[in-house]
Amino acid sequence: MYDLIVIGAGPGGYEAAAHAARMGKKVALAERQYVGGTCLNVGCIPTKAFLKSSKVFTECRNAAVYGVSTGDVRFDLPAVVARKNKVVGTLTRGVESMLKRAGVEIIRGHARLASRSAVSIGGETLEARNILIASGSRPAVPPIPGIDSETVLDSTAALNLTSVPDRLAIIGGGYIGLEFASFFAAVGARVTVLEMLPQIAAGTDQDIANRLQQALRKSGIEFKTSCRVTRIEGDAVRFVSQDGSETSLTADRILNSTGRAPVLADLSLEEAGVDFDSKGIRTSDQGKTNVPGVWACGDVTGRRLLAHAATREGIVAVNNMFGGKDRIRYDAIPAVIYTHPEVAGVGKTEEELRAQGIEYRKAVVPMAVAGRFLVENEGGSGTLKVLAGARHGEILGVHAIGDSSSEFIVAAAAMVEFEMCAAEARQLVFPHPTVSEALREAILELKQ
Amino acid sequence: MPKLGNTVEECLLAKWRKQPGEAVAAGEVIAEIETDKASFDLTAPVAGTLLAAFFNEGALVPVYTNICVIGEAGENAEAFRPSPGVPPPAPEPPAVLPAASEVAAAGAAPAPPAAPVSPPPPAKGSLSPRARRFAERHGFSPGTLSGSGPGGRVLERDIRAAYYSSPHLSSLAARYVESGYEIQAEGSGAGGLVLARDLGEPGVALSGVRARIARRMRESLASTAQYTLNASADATGLLALRGKIKAARANGATIADVNIGDMIMFCAIRTLVEMPWLNVEFSGGKLYQRSSVHIGFACDTPRGLLVPVVRASEKLTIEELAGRIRALTQQALDGSISPDDLAGGTFTVSNLGSFGIESFTPILNPPQVAVLGVDAIQLKPVRRNGGVEFVDHLGLSLTLDHQVIDGAPGARFLQALRNHVENIESLSGLRFQETLHV
Repeated sequence: MYDLIVIGAGPGGYEAAAHAARMGKKVALAERQYVGGTCLNVGCIPTKAFLKSSKVFTECRNAAVYGVSTGDVRFDLPAVVARKNKVVGTLTRGVESMLKRAGVEIIRGHARLASRSAVSIGGETLEARNILIASGSRPAVPPIPGIDSETVLDSTAALNLTSVPDRLAIIGGGYIGLEFASFFAAVGARVTVLEMLPQIAAGTDQDIANRLQQALRKSGIEFKTSCRVTRIEGDAVRFVSQDGSETSLTADRILNSTGRAPVLADLSLEEAGVDFDSKGIRTSDQGKTNVPGVWACGDVTGRRLLAHAATREGIVAVNNMFGGKDRIRYDAIPAVIYTHPEVAGVGKTEEELRAQGIEYRKAVVPMAVAGRFLVENEGGSGTLKVLAGARHGEILGVHAIGDSSSEFIVAAAAMVEFEMCAAEARQLVFPHPTVSEALREAILELKQ
Repeated sequence: MPKLGNTVEECLLAKWRKQPGEAVAAGEVIAEIETDKASFDLTAPVAGTLLAAFFNEGALVPVYTNICVIGEAGENAEAFRPSPGVPPPAPEPPAVLPAASEVAAAGAAPAPPAAPVSPPPPAKGSLSPRARRFAERHGFSPGTLSGSGPGGRVLERDIRAAYYSSPHLSSLAARYVESGYEIQAEGSGAGGLVLARDLGEPGVALSGVRARIARRMRESLASTAQYTLNASADATGLLALRGKIKAARANGATIADVNIGDMIMFCAIRTLVEMPWLNVEFSGGKLYQRSSVHIGFACDTPRGLLVPVVRASEKLTIEELAGRIRALTQQALDGSISPDDLAGGTFTVSNLGSFGIESFTPILNPPQVAVLGVDAIQLKPVRRNGGVEFVDHLGLSLTLDHQVIDGAPGARFLQALRNHVENIESLSGLRFQETLHV
C-alpha cells in the first residue's frame, strides 16, 4: 500500500512525488515516456537551449557593436540539437537521482486508474491511499483539413529538425509559436506567424504584446493576425484574412502551435468517476478532484499550462493529502515568453484591470533607465510597466519586454503575492547595476 | 459653531467637506454638523480660502466656538484658534450628553456641564521604550494590551508575544484595516498572511443621527414597560370630510388643505385635552403632568427619522394645525428645521397607514408615556340593518408605558379617540356652505 502514486513525471508529478517522499511517505511515480515530462524533454528546457544558440549566433554576427571581431559565423543545427540533447540528458539524470535520493520509486509503464484507490501499471495493480494525476498535455491538433500532412510539425518534431527550413509558417501566435518564430528567424528562416486573434501572445498586457510584435517584425518575422487557417494543401497554407478574402502562402515547413490539450485518454477516469471535460480534470484550489483520494495537478487540469504552476499545484495537493493546509493562488504566477527580446509579466494586465473596473495608476519606463540594460543590449530596447491600485498603491501587475526581465519578474511576483504597496516596495534595495533596477525606477515613478 | 436653537449648547462636527488650503465660495457647504436630533450643513459666510480647521471630525464643539478660519491664502489664522479653556475635541461624543439635553429640553433637570475629555493615559497599557521601539519597527499597533510590567506596563516581551501571535496582514490589508475593515482569524495568503480579499466588507459605523436613534430605541425598550393596544374606527366620516374639503377647494373656497393625517392628529389632541393622564412625562420615578399638548409627528426625511413638534397644539384650529404640520414637514425635509422644533414633545403620532400597514408597535419616546400609530384604512364587515356591510375602518395602534398607564385607562383613551375619529366633521368645526355642494 502506497501513501501516494503519482501518474506522470513532469514538473507537476516529479516535484510532488519528491515532496511527499521527503515527508517520509511511501511514494511511487509512474512514467510511460520520459522523466521530466514535456518541460524537460520537449518543452521549456530544449526550446531554451535552442534560443540560447540562436542568441549566441545573433550576438556573434553583431559582435562588432561590442568591439569584437569574428570570422565567418555559421549556424550548425545538428550541433545545436546535440547540445540540446546533452542539456536535457544532464537534467533528466539530475531529476532521476534527486527522486532516488528522496526515496521515490519510479515505475516505468503506462498507468491507469484501476479503482479509486488503485493504479494498474503493466498488468500489475498497486494500492494507494492517494493518487495524483499529472499526465500533462500534448500539442493540440485543430480540426484543419490537411493538418496531418507531412509538412506540418508540432513543437516536439520541430526540436529534432536536421536543417533550418527556408520558409516556415507558424500557425498560432501564442508563446510556443513566438519562441519558435524567434529562434528560426534568427537562424535564417523566413517566418510567417498566423494568429486567429487580433493580438499575438494572448493574455499578455496589450502594450507589451504590441511592442513584442514590433520587435519581432523588426527581426524579419511576418505576422498575419485576425486570420483563420482553413486548409493545408501540401506546402500551402490557405487562410481567411480579417477582410474575408481567402489567400494562401507556401512554406517548406508548417509548425502547428495552436495550443496544448490535456492528456485524458487511457487513464480510466470515467470508470473511476473522476469529473473532467475536454479542458481537463476539474480540481479545487487544494488540488482535489470530485473523487476522494484522487488528486490532479498541472496541464491535465487545464488551469494554467505552465510548468511552475504545475509544480506549485502538485505541492499544494501533497500538503493537503497529508494533513497540511495549502491552497493554490493564481494571482501571482509569472509568465515568460523567451523570445528575443523576452517578455515577462505577473499579476493583472491593464486590460484585466479595466474589464474588472479596478481603479489603478501606472508607471511605464524604458528598460534603459537601468544602466546595465544598455550595457547588455547594444541597440536593444525594452519597456517595463507597473500597475498599482489607485488608492493604496498595491502592486497589481508588472509587465516587461526586454532581456533579463524573466530573471527579476519573481521580485514583482513577491510584491503581488504579498500585496505589497508601492510605499513598501520603494524601501527594497535593488542590486546595482542590474536590469532589475528598471522595476525600481517604475515603482519610484508611480504617483503617490 | 452656530447656535442651532435655544436648547443646543454644543454640536458634533460630523464631517469636513472642505480641507485647509481649499478655496470656498460664499454659501458653499464647508462642514456637516449634528445636534442630538438632526444633522445640518454649515455654509461659508464669506468667500476665501479655508486657512485652518481647529477640530477633527467627531469633535463635540460648544456653540459660538471658532471651528475654522476663512481668509486670504497665506494669512495667519492662529490668532483665531479657540483658547485652551475650550474643551479639546473628543473622538466620540460623551454618551450621557444627548440624553441629558433631552431632559433639559423637557425642563426637568439642568444639563450637566460638558464632560471633561482626554485625561492623561493611565499607566496600565503604556509602552516601555523598548516595547515602543519594537512596535514602531514592526509597524504594529498593539491595541489594548495588558502588560506584565509594573502597573500593567507593556514590556518588549509582551508586545513581541502579541505581535507573533496576531494574524499578519499584507501591506494592502493593513491599509484596509485602517479604513474600517475587520481582521479575520485566518488569511488565505502564503503562510496564513491576511490578504485584502480575506477582509470581506467593512463594517460601516452608524452616522451620528442613526447612532443616536439606535441608542434611544434601545433605552426606550430597556427603561419602559411598553404594550400596544390595537383598535379600529369607522373611517366613513374621515373620508367624507376629506372629500368635502377637496371639493370645496376645487370650487375656490378658502379652506386649508386638511388631510386625513391632520384630522387624526386633531382627534388625538382633543382626546389628550379631555384625558390629560396621557399627556404626561415619566422621568426619574416622577410623573410630570403637562398642561399643554406638544404633539410630535414622525417624519421620514433623507437625514433619517425626525419628530417635529407642534407646540401648544390644543390652541390651534384644525386648519391652523394642518398649516403648522405642513410647514414643519417641509423644514424637516429640507433640513432647515430648528432643533427647538424637534424637542419637547409630550405625545407622538407615527403614521404608516400610507404604506398599507395594518397594525404595528410604535416605540415610545421616553419620557413620553404614549405614542399613537396610525394604520391603513381597510374594509371591515359590520353587522348593520340585519345584514353585513363592508365599511372603511382606520386602524389605530396605541403604545403605552404600563409603568404609569394601565390597560383600562389606555383602552378608554383609545375608545374616546375612536369616537372623535368617527365624528370628525362636527369635531373639526369646519363649516361648508350648501352652495359649495354642487
